[in-house]
Amino acid sequence: MNPARLRRQAKIRYRWRSRGQAYLFMLPWMIGFCVFMAFPIGWSLYLAFQKVNLTGSGSFAYRFVGLQNFKDALLKDNEYPIQLLTFFQQMILMLPIIIVFSLLVSLMLNQKFKGRFVYRAIFFLPVVFSTGQVLTELFQQGAGNVPFLTQYGVDGYIKDNFSPSTAAMMTQLLGMMILILWSSGVQILIFIAGFQTIPKAIYEAVRIDGASPWASFWKITLPGIKPFIGLNLLYTMVDLFTFPFNPVMEQIRRNMFNVSTGYGYASALAWFYFLLIVVMIALILWFLNRTGRNKEEWA
Amino acid sequence: MKTAMIVKQYSQRARLALVNRKAQKVKLLLLGQHMNDGLVAKLILIFLLSIVAYLYLQPLFYMISTMLKSLADLLDPTVQWIPRKVDWGNLDNAYAGLHYASSLVHTLTLAVVPSLISILVCSLTGYALARLQFPGKTVFFALIFMTFLIPPQIIIIPLYVIYSKLGWLDTPLVFIVPALFGQGLKSALFILIFRQFFLSLPKALEEAAMLDGASLFRLFFRIILPLSVPACLVVFLFSFVWHWNEGYLSSMFLSHDFMPLSLRLSNLETEIFGQAPTMEMLAVNPVTEGTKMAGAFLIVFPPLLVYMIAQRWFVEGVERTGIVD
Repeated sequence: MNPARLRRQAKIRYRWRSRGQAYLFMLPWMIGFCVFMAFPIGWSLYLAFQKVNLTGSGSFAYRFVGLQNFKDALLKDNEYPIQLLTFFQQMILMLPIIIVFSLLVSLMLNQKFKGRFVYRAIFFLPVVFSTGQVLTELFQQGAGNVPFLTQYGVDGYIKDNFSPSTAAMMTQLLGMMILILWSSGVQILIFIAGFQTIPKAIYEAVRIDGASPWASFWKITLPGIKPFIGLNLLYTMVDLFTFPFNPVMEQIRRNMFNVSTGYGYASALAWFYFLLIVVMIALILWFLNRTGRNKEEWA
Repeated sequence: MKTAMIVKQYSQRARLALVNRKAQKVKLLLLGQHMNDGLVAKLILIFLLSIVAYLYLQPLFYMISTMLKSLADLLDPTVQWIPRKVDWGNLDNAYAGLHYASSLVHTLTLAVVPSLISILVCSLTGYALARLQFPGKTVFFALIFMTFLIPPQIIIIPLYVIYSKLGWLDTPLVFIVPALFGQGLKSALFILIFRQFFLSLPKALEEAAMLDGASLFRLFFRIILPLSVPACLVVFLFSFVWHWNEGYLSSMFLSHDFMPLSLRLSNLETEIFGQAPTMEMLAVNPVTEGTKMAGAFLIVFPPLLVYMIAQRWFVEGVERTGIVD
């Protein structure tokens, strides 16, 4: 036993002890991930290729059907493709609305004036009480529209200039405009926090060089918060998965408890929906990466 | 003679300069140095913000005003915002229809218990990600990120089966147990928040504690956690509010024995009038309008109260926890 080897052994032992402790810290999450995440994901993927029947004793009878579920969903089902289309149309419209709105509001809230905190509190309010069911009630009673939009005949304009189905969807969106804007509370916070990351010195420097606030916004603020725009896009998308007016959710639920279609078919619906979402997320992540200053740390 | 002239000239000039300077001061006050820090800009800003804020709060006003209308006022199209007489009947109806007392207890259980558990578990995980070295860290980080992005629709079916096999359906366990294992509602987000916060703490603290021979757990529970009270507050408040407003998962897993307020609201009509609500989206029945709004108000009131007390930490805490650097 030479001392060098002893020392090396001690070192290895020490390293493994600290690693063991680290894994202990991670243990609850790891167990949870396996049980409540990885296993359900695998199972639901398996279900998507099966025809599942409930037997009388409450257990499942599987029958492998390959891609049949997906074919049925896209070719036979007369609701699902339309609802998917509606959802993605809504999403494409809602994303920019929410992002631009929260950017404008956060810019305003970022200025220094008295009573700033009152306004901040107001704009964060909806996060506190946007229960899905409450939103639905408000929407049904038509409390979610912006009054002056209907007064100035915006909906008439839309009806004249778009195809009927698109127009119907857009008027529906107008009807819940405020409820859409309501889901930008967290995004506003993220933007405000994002503004803090741009050093004040830069603004002072360009000011001395004679740049107008307008120019400094386009040249400094906007590029500076680009990562946060991507972040907000991500957050908004995840938020819209469970937006109470998401038609795909209802569809999956109805098929789950439907005897003729069942769990397998419902799984296939969910997976196809997820595939489309992955494509969108990939686009956003690509956009995030392209901004160079790739920040993974985020709120 | 000449000197007098010169004096006069000079005094005139001085006066002019003074007037000029005053004008400049006023201009500076009104327009500021760069147009965006003067009074005019501020007034415009506040005006704009007020309009947007009014639009933003309008549904809330609508809720309260509709709630206080009697049936006659609801049917009368001339009554818009201010009811002719304040009528508390709607609130009574909604209170009864929501089974308010018991649902409130249920909802509170659902909101508070998982939130407290989340703080503990997510902070442990976040600390490991922020400060500890172990193989596979980046993989874990990516997986946590992924759990945030997975739509609940994907795993809802297997989860439903698992919970029904375990007999957890209709109990608060469906929210508590996943939270215990870091998979609760938006847990991934909380882990990332904690990680971010721990990264901003000075390393010297941990080094000093380690040199003094503290074990890792002691260091964490004795030094790190007490220091991270602001982050814990933010996480707790967010988690509380999100659990309170949760509608999707609870509509799947909870049905009749254990019902949070949000589900009660969808059944309110059936509950009161003994009829299932019509499925037509826009068929509004003025008879039930007020009661529904009263129900909605009863649901949003408790979190509003919490928010009013805690809003300082809410908004500032998010900025102070350095969530975003």
